Amino acid sequence: MRRQILDSGYRSGVEAAENASMSRVIRPRFDPVARAFDSITDAQWHVAWEDPLRATIVEMQAAFHAGVRRIVVVLPTTAMSGGARYAHTAAAAEGIRVLVKSAARQWGSSGVTVNAVAVRPDDILDDPSVAGPSSLAPGALATSDAAALIEFLCSDMSADVTGQTIVVDGGVWM
Amino acid sequence: MSGRLEGRVAIVTGAGQGVGEGIARRLAAEGAHVVIAARRAATGQPVADSIVGDGGSAVCIPTDVTDRRSVEQCVASTVDRFGSLHVMVHNAFAGGIPHRLEDADLDRHWEAMSRSAVWGSFYCAQVASPHLAAAGAHGRLILVSSPSGIEGSANIPLYSPVKAAQRAIAKSLAREWGHHGVTVNCIAPVAGSPALVSAFERNPALRDAIEARTPLGRVGESTVDIGSVALFLASDDAGYVTGQTIVCDGGSFLGL
Repeated sequence: MRRQILDSGYRSGVEAAENASMSRVIRPRFDPVARAFDSITDAQWHVAWEDPLRATIVEMQAAFHAGVRRIVVVLPTTAMSGGARYAHTAAAAEGIRVLVKSAARQWGSSGVTVNAVAVRPDDILDDPSVAGPSSLAPGALATSDAAALIEFLCSDMSADVTGQTIVVDGGVWM
Repeated sequence: MSGRLEGRVAIVTGAGQGVGEGIARRLAAEGAHVVIAARRAATGQPVADSIVGDGGSAVCIPTDVTDRRSVEQCVASTVDRFGSLHVMVHNAFAGGIPHRLEDADLDRHWEAMSRSAVWGSFYCAQVASPHLAAAGAHGRLILVSSPSGIEGSANIPLYSPVKAAQRAIAKSLAREWGHHGVTVNCIAPVAGSPALVSAFERNPALRDAIEARTPLGRVGESTVDIGSVALFLASDDAGYVTGQTIVCDGGSFLGL
């Protein structure tokens, strides 16, 4: 239910932002399934690590070549926290989060900003009880909605913000 | 020889040179039986011979960390020979060609780094897992990452995600394996590795630039500066440290 609400929020916020300026919101396809590390097969590791990284690199390259000036990548806070039974997904999420910094360093001189928005694990992953910082401890705020933040990062109001990870999870991960 | 790792068994990948060699030498100097898991015996065997010549215990087992079967054979041979495995250090790395991100070719600029750093971490951790669990509170997984895995890289942008992924793997496995007493940590070094030395040869100004931005004013030495950090993490002194990255770069990165 929470994911459906968020998807709806993303759609309205992201579509408005993408129409308003040359921006691109990238939502990598993370493996949402919790997997005991010792049981992960090579094929599962490929889907969880290799596929989202390669797809995101290609998507970022395409955005740059299309003249996009604001690139925003959405990922779970599991990137920074790690998660039991989510090593495969955390590896991909953190890899992409730091790729954002590299892109920001190289593309800043072209006027392109690249940022990451980190959302609650349960916005993306199946098992929030092991997926990261939430473990689902209560956040400082009752709600969290990434749409407004994404709109800001897609706008020219954020022209001096780049290489950052902004957490929008209601204060679960600090 | 006796020391803080007396009787422990350690595998160090990429130990035929550079940081891996430095770590292997430091662990061996403290009494560990060390497996030099180098891709080529031509580089690994002389390191093993040298350690033995210094009174330590070491063997070379040629290992390709991008090949699961090769890692399995390395771990099986280690346990066969020494009876157990306490410490797995994954340091081996290949690739690192400077590039522009928008023009990067995945085959040329990504594949080798992903295979050696991330798939290598996956294989080394998974294959070592039952032995590290059996070692309990002496079990250690140490992944050699990089400051670029924290702050990104303007020169080799696709290097940073593979090094970042290792940190996330360490945090996740720290959570997942903690109940065994096993610790999982990363080291993020800047040291005179063969890659860095050859970069200095291509661009002599690079050494000056690195030293100028480093509070301690020098590039790290593999055995004394980096090996000692690995020794700490491998020892009982670090039994309550897990999921962490220790940056050993003379203070040039201060952003954690």
